[in-house]
Amino acid sequence: MARLKFLCDANRCIDCNACVTACKNEHDVPWGINRRRVVTINDGKPGERSVSMACMHCTNAPCAAVCPVDCFHATDDGLVLHSKEICIGCGYCFYACPFGAPQFPQATNFGSRGKMDKCTYCAGGPDADLSEAEYVRYGSNRLAEGKLPLCAEMCSTKALLAGDGEIIAQIYKERVVTRGYGSGAWGWKTAYGETITVT
Amino acid sequence: MSEQQDGRSLGRRRFFRALGTGSVAAAAGAVMGAKEAQAYDPGPEETKARYRETDDVRAFYRTNGYETLRK
Repeated sequence: MARLKFLCDANRCIDCNACVTACKNEHDVPWGINRRRVVTINDGKPGERSVSMACMHCTNAPCAAVCPVDCFHATDDGLVLHSKEICIGCGYCFYACPFGAPQFPQATNFGSRGKMDKCTYCAGGPDADLSEAEYVRYGSNRLAEGKLPLCAEMCSTKALLAGDGEIIAQIYKERVVTRGYGSGAWGWKTAYGETITVT
Repeated sequence: MSEQQDGRSLGRRRFFRALGTGSVAAAAGAVMGAKEAQAYDPGPEETKARYRETDDVRAFYRTNGYETLRK
């Protein structure tokens, strides 16, 4: 069975933020929340790199490990999803996540953060597939429609890869071999406990 | 202290004693009647794999496989 992963080819990312905008538009993400962000390292200096980051759907996800109400579940294709019915907005997952993926919609008058929101890998949530309830809480379910996450599908420079981990790792390896250089698969060691070695 | 005031303070003490006893009894009842916390069980429908290698997905893999940085 396929294990779904994200891979950002930092040699291709041009910090255009189209993935961020596409995600917000596709899922009607509330004001103040970005499920995906582009992080630029060494901005304006030689060796500048931009990486598009969201929830990496980690193996042994630290967010799930610290959640006091166990609102997370892993799907058979390796995605880490959560139930907004159960989430109490405590914010522990935000502190545990190495990628800063969990987001909270608002700080209310009483200090409550609201229900956590994060990248769903365009796979919706626990509600019925393609239902109104699912769209309102989690956004669209492109995976159920036989598609991949929109951020990756519309990436103009093909920097962001999504899909079966083995296939996108192979695509990345072939790119590195062909072009003769590569800066590594960002976040793979942290999220999946592995790196892509090109031989 | 007048008799009337003594009577009033005794009445108040009885009231608070009764209130305390009632609270303890209610708390004990709640503890005895409480169910053990259940972890969230999403069930097979929610955890099933939704990924399918459709034509759309295959086209994504094919076009991303081209190393166009060499152009």
